[in-house]
Amino acid sequence: MNRMNGMPRTEMIQPDAWGRVRRGRYLADWALKAICVLFTALGAFVLGWILLMLLYEGISAMRPEIFVNTTPGPMTKGGGIANAIVGSLILTALGIVVATPIGVLAGTYLAEYGKDSKLAELIRFVNDILLAAPSILIGLFVYTLMVQPMGGYSGWAGGVALAIIAVPVIVRTTEDMLRIVPGSLREAGAALGAPMSTVIRKISWRSARAGMVTGVLLATARIAGETAPLLFTALNNNFWFRPDLMGGVANLPVMIYQYALSPYQNWRELAWAGALVITLSILALSVVARLLLRKDKVR
Amino acid sequence: MSTIAFSASSAVGKNAAASADVPVRIAVRNLNFHYGDFRSLKDISLDFYDRQVTALIGPSGCGKSTLLRTFNRIYSLYPEQRADGEILLDGQNVLSPSIDVNELRARVGMVFQKPTPFPMSIYDNIAFGIKLYERLPKSELDGRVEEALRKAALWDEAKDKLRQSGMSLSGGQQQRLCIARTIAQKPEVILLDEPTSALDPISTGKIEELIEQLRSEFTIVIVTHNMQQAARISQFTAFMYLGEVVEFGPTTKMFMNPSKKQTQDYITGRFG
Amino acid sequence: MVALSQKALVTSADKPSRRSSFLSFDDAFRLASLGSALIVLIVLLGIIGSMIYGGWPAFREFGLGFITSSVWDVQRDQYGAWVAIVGTLTTALIALVIGVPISLGIAVFLTQLCPPWLKRPVATTIELLAAVPSIIYGMWGLFVFAPLFARFIQIPVSSLVEGLPLVGSILYARTPSGVGVLTAGIILSIMIIPFIASIARDILDQIPPVMRESAYGIGCTTWEVVRHVLLPQVGVSIIGAIMLGLGRALGETMAVTFVIGNANRLSASLFDPGSTIASRIANEFNEAIGLQLNALMALGCILFLVTFTVLVLARLLVARVKTA
Repeated sequence: MNRMNGMPRTEMIQPDAWGRVRRGRYLADWALKAICVLFTALGAFVLGWILLMLLYEGISAMRPEIFVNTTPGPMTKGGGIANAIVGSLILTALGIVVATPIGVLAGTYLAEYGKDSKLAELIRFVNDILLAAPSILIGLFVYTLMVQPMGGYSGWAGGVALAIIAVPVIVRTTEDMLRIVPGSLREAGAALGAPMSTVIRKISWRSARAGMVTGVLLATARIAGETAPLLFTALNNNFWFRPDLMGGVANLPVMIYQYALSPYQNWRELAWAGALVITLSILALSVVARLLLRKDKVR
Repeated sequence: MSTIAFSASSAVGKNAAASADVPVRIAVRNLNFHYGDFRSLKDISLDFYDRQVTALIGPSGCGKSTLLRTFNRIYSLYPEQRADGEILLDGQNVLSPSIDVNELRARVGMVFQKPTPFPMSIYDNIAFGIKLYERLPKSELDGRVEEALRKAALWDEAKDKLRQSGMSLSGGQQQRLCIARTIAQKPEVILLDEPTSALDPISTGKIEELIEQLRSEFTIVIVTHNMQQAARISQFTAFMYLGEVVEFGPTTKMFMNPSKKQTQDYITGRFG
Repeated sequence: MVALSQKALVTSADKPSRRSSFLSFDDAFRLASLGSALIVLIVLLGIIGSMIYGGWPAFREFGLGFITSSVWDVQRDQYGAWVAIVGTLTTALIALVIGVPISLGIAVFLTQLCPPWLKRPVATTIELLAAVPSIIYGMWGLFVFAPLFARFIQIPVSSLVEGLPLVGSILYARTPSGVGVLTAGIILSIMIIPFIASIARDILDQIPPVMRESAYGIGCTTWEVVRHVLLPQVGVSIIGAIMLGLGRALGETMAVTFVIGNANRLSASLFDPGSTIASRIANEFNEAIGLQLNALMALGCILFLVTFTVLVLARLLVARVKTA
């Protein structure tokens, strides 16, 4: 029948011998898989452990009055972390307010003006170095730059130190986000006669908005928990800050550092409470930043 | 009558085609394929003949690559893709869970659209695949590598730089290296997924000649979007459309005298 | 020069009539962008400058001996960096030895083995691990990890190896308190894991799928695909990612300060307290005056040089991957 259409006859070839695979290969494969799963589980386990520790210690130290009272001195009972929380908010806000325009404009320069020029390549390179540079060195730098000349610790110095850490993060995300804006959009804007600055502000920035906001949020999350750069700049104290932000400004990270290593029970408890507050805030910020970016991608 | 059809099928006048009494190497029965919820192959039943070149043609998205990718179960790298039905290779269902996929893939070799030399030397690119399945003394391994390179018509170009990286070859040479890598494993079936679409016409010609020669040893299935290529190198052609096989037959008949109008339209370029 | 690249846009946008002799908004905007970009450059130069300026008196006083001397005596005003340098390098090395295999394992899991529904939660977990402030790792290390480490590792191991040559001194704890160089290295490894893992994942994700398919296509197992095809393919970038992690481990301050014990002498044992450059600075800077301050700045200078070198190498190796 088949042959009528020029089709050959259907007939199956008998099976060959299978079983050429060496067992050792499967053993190695299985071991790799097991190890990878184990390592990943280990990572998740450590995060869970740290969070549980924070929740346990932090919640047992949590009392309403600690959000009202200032940090106590040595051998003083009670006390709170209100001044440290407000101080941290102020320092972080200061850092972000300084860093955002600089970071956004620098990122814009790299993506829109400099592109592949030598200068842009150099700045990109330097930015990547700063992004990973030890933050304690930035503390030393700002100490030399501001604390020494101004004659003392200040909130301003702390804010600048945090800004220096935030800028590279914002530069990087801004540039990355602007780079994925299609060139045709810019050309369309320019074709209408809009000057470069208008094209950037009204078209590029607008298209990349969600990503740029994410960058700022991630930078905020990054600097909110930084301790080392504040040690020599804003330091810490047990009072409400002065209106001119001169002298030490209480802040959560340095407070936690000093109190956690202290011999006083109430100080340690306050350190745990502060640690819980700051970690939850930072994790919440990171999650929000990621959700924002994801929503934007979906759209 | 069939003999006439066959000799005419080698339109370029190369080797005369095999006799009509060709055994089946792969028998596909009621094969369905799903990408998530989308059913991209619908109840395919098709035979692939031993030591013949079968071309799968059809418009993009018709499922020809998908069909090819079921034969060595490479699709199973992606959890959302699944196939049911039967694909009998020498009588054994390769879709059965008891089949060892790694071994299956050594028996059913695959060459991809883009050349993919591994990040190692030319020699190791070929020896690597052999060593997965056979423990050979060095001299024998050398022989196998040379044999594979010769069969892939790459020996003369590569023999002086076996220790150089596979990346140092040109695109067409890289693709022949990938073919050599595949045949070195002595598979039974070779799957070619648009193997020349990334190559220039001269390299394409070399690969087509190569396929013609390899037919004496291997059962070959090739996916191609180039109908001249299908006509030039294959003995059988299946035309697919929207996940179904519209028509299957000897290549000459398919191109000279298709029985379905859809096939006719596609082949003559009148396809919407 | 800079404007050349967007000449086409500008000429089509700026009609001659609109061009004024004053600084237009368009020019001002461009200059502001350029200025902001230059600030990045200036900050780096400022960091280098301040370190050299602050550290100079110490380098002048002690010369090369500053690096090789292991004396750090505030009373006699004698300072040498050797103990801190050794501590920095040892802890970072321990962090790499432990952290790199785990990071790569996680990256392989995420890119090759993980079922799709699990990908996002696992990736998020790893990234959140990177967002946890370093001081929290310090607290965890000191209050949770160190006691367990002392009890289940230091004491049993010390009693096991006591008196043996070599290991008897490297792994012997005189006072098994849980803190020390090894503990610091372990905490550091936990801190660099999310970092290296997420970069390695990005790198592995960039390999075109057809590469993977063709390796599986000749019958490789997952292990063989990873070991012989994927890792060699991206080997250089992965080394770059590891260097980035190293840069981070070298400069990490707070977590190390909590758990390293802050000792000023050199000890053969990994279980003994030590100090790193960063922890020494964090501990002493606020109380330091005179030459001690300069010596700490000089330490900062050395730390800068080391991390700068590592980061430059890393940046050259990883062409450009996400580090944020």
